[in-house]
Amino acid sequence: MNRDPYAIALNNALTEIKKAYPDIKNSFIFTKNGTIITGDQETDEKTMNNILESFQTMKEKAKAIGNLKSFHITGKNGKLTLSKIKDMYLVLATSKNADKTQIYSITHVIIPTILKTLETFAPTHLQSPSTKKLVVDTLTGFFAGDSVQIDTEILRDWTKNNDPRARLNDALTGEQDMQESIDHVRIETSGGNSTLCKVKEINDQNLKGKNMIRIPEKLCKTLEINKGDLVKVKPLL
Amino acid sequence: MLVKNSETDDTENDVEELQEKLQDIKDQEGIIGYILRGPKSASIDLKDPTKIIDYAILSSAVFDVSQNMTEALQMGEVDTILVESEETKLLSMNINNHRLSIFMEKSVNHDKIYKNLK
Repeated sequence: MNRDPYAIALNNALTEIKKAYPDIKNSFIFTKNGTIITGDQETDEKTMNNILESFQTMKEKAKAIGNLKSFHITGKNGKLTLSKIKDMYLVLATSKNADKTQIYSITHVIIPTILKTLETFAPTHLQSPSTKKLVVDTLTGFFAGDSVQIDTEILRDWTKNNDPRARLNDALTGEQDMQESIDHVRIETSGGNSTLCKVKEINDQNLKGKNMIRIPEKLCKTLEINKGDLVKVKPLL
Repeated sequence: MLVKNSETDDTENDVEELQEKLQDIKDQEGIIGYILRGPKSASIDLKDPTKIIDYAILSSAVFDVSQNMTEALQMGEVDTILVESEETKLLSMNINNHRLSIFMEKSVNHDKIYKNLK
């Protein structure tokens, strides 16, 4: 989980909210790209990843009705609320009798206000760990080339300053380092193969925002991976 | 006089009653349509037939995902699910061994629909 000051501040906020609202059983926050920022002490990482994976599946299917804003489940023993707040999602699991107004105030007032306040101190967005797990899609045909393709948003995330101290310094001084562009990434497969290759933005509109890496077929064979496999990808800055 | 004493008859009548309610709901303002899926059959009524496949996939995913999530958080059996996008929302629930998904515009009062159905 992320340990930069921004994430720590959010973690403190979740802890205090939980104290104030005992009906909250679990709470955590992740980015729209699927990076867990922070969560309460009671929710283990396996559970968070489980929820996150399920949510990513649904988010994709929910495009049929537009961009997903919130998701609520009422179970026999509790309620789950998943709300989009800016470019993040807040997950709140509560007891069945949790007050709707209280949940609303947390998702629509308290957390957005905290985020806004934090952004005032640190204008850059959340830091994402540089390694991403992406789903392989194969690039075929004459124009496949030798570069892999990744979402613009991920490339943009990587170019943001990843050093928390530098970010705080930027925030305090009002200065910002010039961002370097990423032209190479390292791909690691679950089988232990890895390679360094050129990277471009995904150019097919239909494939954007799917947490995907498009890899030329030839390279897939070299790495012994297939379409749908998960690979670890990190930028070469 | 016809006396109902079999569980099957009760279930069939419940489903018929549910479908009657759905016919009424469907005509309400802002309702886009519904998908009702039982163990042996399914009925779909959507204003825009081109969206049938996408909506059916979403409806099915919503139930599966919700079950995964409630299991992970030990929240017990799923009662209702609400999915909201910017303009549309989807209310899903299990009724009489059937999976029901109602698609509607965001302005529709889904609580009222839920109370009508349960």
